[in-house]
Formats: sequence, C-alpha cells, structure tokens
Amino acid sequence: MNASAEHNHLFSPLEGEDTDHSSHISFMGAPFVPVDSDDLSSNKAPYVFIGAPFDEGNVGKPGCEDGAREFRVASLGIPSYWFEFNVDLKGEVVDAGDVSMPRVNPDVARERIYNAVRKVLAAGKIPIICGGDRSISIPAAKALSDHLGVGKKMGYMHLGAHLDMADRWAGETHLSTNAMARITELRNLDMANCAHIGARNAFNSKDQVELAKNRHMRFYPMMEVLDRGIDDVMDEAVSRVWDGTDAQYLSVNLNILDSSAAPGVTFTESGGLNSRELIRVAKKISDRGHISVIDVTELCPMTDVAGSTSRTAVTIVQQIMAGIQKVHGKTLDESLRRSGWRYDD
Amino acid sequence: MTSSSKNTWTLAPHQHQGPHQETGEDAHILSPEKHNGNFKAEGILTFMGAPYCAPDRHEIRKMGAKICFLGAPWDQGTIVRTGTSSGPHGIREASSQYFSYLFEYDVDLLTFFKVVDCGDIPIVPGNNELSQQYMCDYVTECLEGGAKVILVGGDHSVPIPGARGLSQYMSRNKPDASMGYLHVDCHLDAAVDWAGIEITNASGATETLKMPNVSSKNMAHMGSRNGLNPKDWMDFWVDNDMPIIPMSEVIERGIETCGRKILDRAWNGTEAVYLSWDTDSMDCSIMPGTSCPESYGLNARESIAFARLVGEYGVDVFELAELAPIFDVSDISAKLACNLVYQYLGSRAATLRSQNQAP
Repeated sequence: MNASAEHNHLFSPLEGEDTDHSSHISFMGAPFVPVDSDDLSSNKAPYVFIGAPFDEGNVGKPGCEDGAREFRVASLGIPSYWFEFNVDLKGEVVDAGDVSMPRVNPDVARERIYNAVRKVLAAGKIPIICGGDRSISIPAAKALSDHLGVGKKMGYMHLGAHLDMADRWAGETHLSTNAMARITELRNLDMANCAHIGARNAFNSKDQVELAKNRHMRFYPMMEVLDRGIDDVMDEAVSRVWDGTDAQYLSVNLNILDSSAAPGVTFTESGGLNSRELIRVAKKISDRGHISVIDVTELCPMTDVAGSTSRTAVTIVQQIMAGIQKVHGKTLDESLRRSGWRYDD
Repeated sequence: MTSSSKNTWTLAPHQHQGPHQETGEDAHILSPEKHNGNFKAEGILTFMGAPYCAPDRHEIRKMGAKICFLGAPWDQGTIVRTGTSSGPHGIREASSQYFSYLFEYDVDLLTFFKVVDCGDIPIVPGNNELSQQYMCDYVTECLEGGAKVILVGGDHSVPIPGARGLSQYMSRNKPDASMGYLHVDCHLDAAVDWAGIEITNASGATETLKMPNVSSKNMAHMGSRNGLNPKDWMDFWVDNDMPIIPMSEVIERGIETCGRKILDRAWNGTEAVYLSWDTDSMDCSIMPGTSCPESYGLNARESIAFARLVGEYGVDVFELAELAPIFDVSDISAKLACNLVYQYLGSRAATLRSQNQAP
C-alpha cells in the first residue's frame, strides 16, 4: 500500500518535498493547546506536554529552568516514526506551553504547576511535565493524588541519584531534596507501591536514609542495580508500582544517568545508568501499556554537550510513548510504503 | 576557638557558625536546619570541608588526623598539555557539592578519619627539582604525623617525589621493610628519560623502581592502551618482569579480578603501598577533564569498583593525578575524581570497622 500525503512524514522526503520542519517550537511540533482551552479534552491526543521552567526548588547548581525549552528543540530533530515499534507518534501529543512562572515567588509557582497538571488530568489526558528542577514532582504528584481522590491507589516510581528524603532542608519543605519526603506523605500512595531507583554517592545525608527506612520506602541503590542488573530490578520495581494501582506516576531525574551519558544535568553524578540501560527501563515500563503522569527533571542545557542530554531525555520519553502505543496495537499497516515505491517484480 | 582546643581535631564548618548556628555535632551529615542549604556556596574551600592543618608532623599528630589531603598544583613535569595544576582546586570544589556522609557504608568520612586539608604544596616556577623536593617533603611530613595521604595532582610526575616521600619515611621508620607501587594509567610511564630528563610524567615507574625499598616483584601496571606508549616503556615493564594488565584484559576479565591481582602483588610481603592513579585510566567520556584524554578506558562504575577495592586493602598514599578542570565538561571529571576518593575512604572505613580497627 503506497502512502497517501498524510503519511509522507513517515518516510524520507520525496523529490521536491521539504523536510517536515515545524514553524514553531513545541514538543514534536505538536499543536499548542493551552490547559484552559476546551480543545484540551476534545483533542484526540492522549498526551499533553507541559513545560515547568522552575529553578527555585534547587539546592545545587542552577540552569534547569531552560530544560523544557531545549527538550522541545531536541524533539524537533527526531521524526515521529519509531521503527522498533512500527508506530507513529504524530498526533499523540499536544503542547500546552509552559506554566507561567512568577519570579521569586515559589509558592505561587508550585500552585500553578499543580493547577496545570490537575486540568490535564481532568481532561482525561496524560501529562508529560518537563522541568525545571526535581521539586516540580511535589505539586505534580499531589495533583495526581487529588485527582484520584479517596479510595483510589496511585503508584510512584522515581529514577534518580538522590533520595530526596529530607523532611526539612534549612527549614524548607518543598525543595528538590524534600521531594520524596512530601510525596511519600500522599494519602493514596501506599509504600508498597513506591519505588526509588539509582541512589548513589555522597549527596544523601544521614537523616534522609533514616527517613526512607522509617517510612519503608523501597529504594534500589545503584550498588544493588549493579549487582542484580537493571532488568531484574525493574521487574520487581515495576510490579510494586503498577500491580493493583489505579494510576502510576513516573518521575525521571536525569541524574539517574551516569554523568558521561548526561552531562547536561544540574547535579551530575558518576556511576549511574548508561543510556542503553535507560532504554531497558523504558521498555519495562511501556510493557505495562499504561501510565498516568511522566515528569522529566533537572535537564540543564547550559552544561550540556552538543545537546546530547536533551536528545537522550526526549528519546526516553518517546520510547515509553512508542512502547505503550505498540502494546495498544496502534501500529502502522505493515504494507505501508513510501509514495511512488515500486517492487522489482 | 580557645587555645586549649587548638591542637585537637575540631570540625568547625564555617558556614555553620555565625549568628544562625547549626547545633549538634552531626549537623554536617544531616540535611541543614539553618545554614548552608544552598550547595552553590563553596565557602572557604577545603577538601571535604575538612579543617586546615599545617603540613607539619607535630601539628598533624596533635590533631590526631588519620587522612591528610595534599594538593600538588603542578604541571611543570608534563610532556603533554598543561592544565593539571588546577586539579587540587577542581577536586576541592567538587567536594563542596557533597556531604561527608556515605549512605552505602553508613559512615561519616570526616569524623571517622579526622580528615584534614594540609593545603597545596608550594611550587617553584622554573625549579623542577626543588618543587619535587617540596612534594616529597610534604608527603613525608604527613606520614610522619601518623596519617595516610590523599595526594591530588598535578601532572603525573607527582609519583616521582610522592613515592620517594613514602620510601624515605619507610627507610627511616622501618628500614628492613619494603613497599609496593601500583601504577593505574592509560600510559606505561616507563621512560628511562625523556629527551634526557628523568623527572617528567613519562617516568613515574622508572624512577620509583630506583628506590631502595621498592622491588619489581611488588610493582604492577593496569589500564594501558592506545598509541602513546613507546616501545621502551613497554620493554621496561617486561624486562623487569613486572605485569602489565592492559585495558583489553580488564574488559575481558573484569575490574575486580584484575584489581585484586595488582593489589595482591603490591601487598605481597610489603608494609606499605603507594597507589599512583592517573585520571586518564578512565574513559574520556567520563573523564574529559584530563590532560591526555584517551578512549577505551575504565567507565565510571569500573573506576568506582576499583576505588572500593583499594579501600579493602588500604594504601599509604592514594595519589590521583592529571585532573585538568579547564578541559572539563559540566564538572563531571572533577566530581568523579572526588567520588573516587570518597568511595575509597568509605570502603576503607567499612573494612576497618569490620575488623574492629581504628584508622
């Protein structure tokens, strides 16, 4: 079957045809649909991309407020067709733009992130939130919890180098280092459905380890991942988060990756996952066929090298989207061929 | 600080002082209550936030320090590009991003070892012999003070005076004992001389073998690869019957097996070991910030595994050379270098603790 014009973007451009460049910067060139728009729920796309350019929850080096922008730019260089899955991600996502950030007013900023995520969830869509620092997970996870309401159970998976289990940090309660401490307090998150993967190195203060143990938060430190292998750990962790829950939140701090694989991160850490292992992580998640919220945080373009970290970040999100789409059977017709294609016989 | 406490090891994190004091002796390994919530601040920079101690055997002894950090801001010994003189600053700055607590070992490195920072060794521009003599003397002072040494270069001629410092200490204190020497590096560093000069970063191994208490049966090399290894360097190791474990063998047999092999050799019948570890033993993807980056090296998890292994055995001088922050990318090289020292100390602490030994 030769492709009609609507499928041309799946293939190499035809003679005289321009490469499909988007005229505006959005995630995958997706149409802009604000969270307040009526089109949000009527749109067919299951995913809604939200930028959260927030850097005021960070205790380390700055720079991740530019993360969402570079994430979008990187996505424009990647076609929507994923050959491993034979799926097309075009039309799967709309871009709701960035949450409007008041400067020097973190409380209001967090509230706006919360509201944006609530609205997307209320529209029946899956938010993909790109930070911003890791603290954006706090309002975003609370939004999922409140959206579910009493009686429903959520699962939460975090990938990152730090436990983020500080109950208080210099008196503050909603910084990056507080994220897991706040999220583990959500009323419909049972600790049996929570998993933290990748903790390592010396930015995990003693009180955080103690709180993690006191709350029975299962964390798989990098040493355990190295001993057992990523597949084995992910099989167990995914079961915790997905089995028996009504909704699942995946939080990806890009410092889950080894600093050689992700230099463009605010708080780089050596000894982490390499990118091929992260692809395995994506597969184990997408094999479940559904997810409720994805966040990607700490992308720091100003320390990135050749945009490689941004590109890896986009890849991991698209791998999950494509894998889920395949599980749902939304694959392309196997006989689809480039317009003008002729068989030799 | 009162005069009575002047000579004891006291942790005084400067950012915890002042009108808003952190309380409790464990404040530095806990999430901050009042101060230094901002890890953008490096404050008064010492390695690990350790107190400063004069590089003097009596001062070190009085403070009871068991680990002395020494910086060697030196790149006059290099046959390749310069930039390693900023290595000590790079690793100190990277350490300002970390707690001294390692959850993998449940240990506070700072108080366990009573770590002190003895500052940087003075370097005399244009006088390479005198500069290296200072490096030797500083290492000796720390050892005489009853401490083990973390020596951070500086170009990889640092082991020439560094190992001599350990050798002299051994000659004076244990004249009948011998010491081991390990060279973990991309390069074999075994030039008898380089254009007539014997003290460049091409001659670490050759110079060390000259020392009276060093025998070839306690020397080994690991991590060699690629095209900056002239034939005479190779011949030196082979002719002296000392094993080279090239990178290809590390990949084939694993870092654990290979690391044990060289550590066992270094400790076989010896009473001290000098570890000379060049950052270019690591792959250039994780260690771009070095003066001679090389592909096909140890990745982060392999180098961390080796650091932990060294902690099981212990060494008298743990030297890390060739860190060049000016070529670094997003500080990943400096942070890995820092992490390697931390992982070594963490593993060392766990080992000592399991043997009911004090550092």
